[in-house]
Amino acid sequence: MTTKSTNMLSNARFAGVFIMLLLLSGCARNPVLLQSTYQALPPHAEITSVPFYAQTEFQCGPATLAMVLNHQDVDTDVEQLIPQVFLPERDGSVQPEMLATVRRYGQLAYPIRGTMDALLGHLAAGDPVIVMQNLSLPIYPMWHYAVAIGYDLPNETLILRSGEIERHTMLFSRFNATWARTERWGFVVAEPGTLPSGITARNALEAISAYEETNGPRAALSSWQSFTQQHPTNAIGQFALGNALYADEQPDKARHAFERATQLDEEMGAAWLNLGLLLLQNDEPEAAREALIQAASLEGSWQAKAQSYLVELDVTHE
Amino acid sequence: MKTLRAYLSTLLITALIITSLPVAAAPAAPQSMDLVSTQSVLSADRAGADRERINEILARADVQDQLLKQGVDLDEVDARVAALSDSEAKQMADQLEMMPAGAGGGVIGALFAVFIILLITDILGLTDVYPFTR
Repeated sequence: MTTKSTNMLSNARFAGVFIMLLLLSGCARNPVLLQSTYQALPPHAEITSVPFYAQTEFQCGPATLAMVLNHQDVDTDVEQLIPQVFLPERDGSVQPEMLATVRRYGQLAYPIRGTMDALLGHLAAGDPVIVMQNLSLPIYPMWHYAVAIGYDLPNETLILRSGEIERHTMLFSRFNATWARTERWGFVVAEPGTLPSGITARNALEAISAYEETNGPRAALSSWQSFTQQHPTNAIGQFALGNALYADEQPDKARHAFERATQLDEEMGAAWLNLGLLLLQNDEPEAAREALIQAASLEGSWQAKAQSYLVELDVTHE
Repeated sequence: MKTLRAYLSTLLITALIITSLPVAAAPAAPQSMDLVSTQSVLSADRAGADRERINEILARADVQDQLLKQGVDLDEVDARVAALSDSEAKQMADQLEMMPAGAGGGVIGALFAVFIILLITDILGLTDVYPFTR
C-alpha cells in the first residue's frame, strides 16, 4: 500500500515536471517565420565576405562593429573601436553608442524591423545584421552582440559570427528566444545614398536625421534622395529633402520638394513656412504670402515666425 | 551638482534669449534664410523649442559626467558625446544606468541553482549560455 502511494506520488511528480518541460519547450517551438518568407527567400544565404574578429574579454561591441565596418570597406579595427564604444565600468557597450559609432565612420546605422522575417530578408539582400541578444534569462541577463551573416531555411538555422566562434549556427527557435529578450534589436550599416529595403520609414527618417545632425544636410542629401525614392509619399521625407537641397544650393529643386511636402500633408506648417521663405527669396511676394498664411494658420513652433514675415510683407508692400 | 545645474540652466536661458533677440528684431533678410530644420520637425511632438534645446544641452553635460564615471578616457569623452544625436543623448542621460550593455563575456560564475536552471533552459533551446550544451 505504502509503496503504491509513493509510486503514484513520484509518478505524479514526474508527470508534473514532464508537463512543465513540454510547456517550456512549447514556447520555443512556435513557428518563428511567416509562410510567405519560406516562399519569398532563397533557401540558403551566407555573407562569407564578413571578416571575423574573436572578441576578447567583454568586447563583443567593438568586435561586431569592426566586422561590419570592415565589410563596408571602412578602415578601422577592434583596438581603435574599444575606446570609442566600450564602457569599462559596465563591461560592455550600450545601444545608442553602437549606432553613434557607426556614424563616426561616415556610415549610417539603420535599426531593422524586429522580426525574424525582416532579419532573414536583410541577410538574403547581402547586408550583415548586428543583433543584440540576451543569451541568458531576464533575471540573470547576459547581454551580447553578434553579427548575423546567413541562414539555412531547410535546417532552420541562423549563422552568426559570435563571441569566439567564427561560424556559430543556431536554431531559429533558440536564436529567436534570446533575441526576443532585447525586443529583437538589431541594425544594418549602409553608406550614404543607399537605403537597405525593408527598413521602416520611421527608422530610416531617424537614422538619416541623426547622420545629418553631425555631418550636415549636404552630406545627408544623397540619403534623403534614396529615402524619397523608396517612400515617395512621405511628407517629412520630402521636407527633409527640401532642406538638404537648399543647403546644397539647389533652391529650385528645394522649392519643388517643399511643395510636394505641403501637397502630401496640408497640415505641415514647417513645410509651408520653408516654402514661403524660399518664395520670398525668389522675389515672389504673392505666392510667398499664400504659403505664409497657411503656415501662420497652423498651430506649431513655425506660427510666430510665419506671422512676423507676413507683417513684414504687408509693411514693405503698402 | 544641483546648484551647478540651476546655475547652468539660468545661464543657458539667458544666452538663448539674447541670441534669439536679433532674429526677432531683424528685417526679412532673404540672403541669410534660416529654414526650419528637419530635426526640429521630427522632434515636433516634444516640448517647446527653447526648453527642448536647454534640455538637450543639459542632457549632453549629464552624459559626459556619466561616461567619465563609467571609466571612459578623458580624451575620448567629448568625441563620444558629440557623436550622439539629440534623441540618443536624451535617452542616455535618462536611462544609461538601466541600459543593457552588450558584453557576452564567457560562462558566468553563478549560484548552483542558477546554473541548473540555465542548463535546463539551454537544453530546451531557450538560452545559449553554456557552449557544451550545443
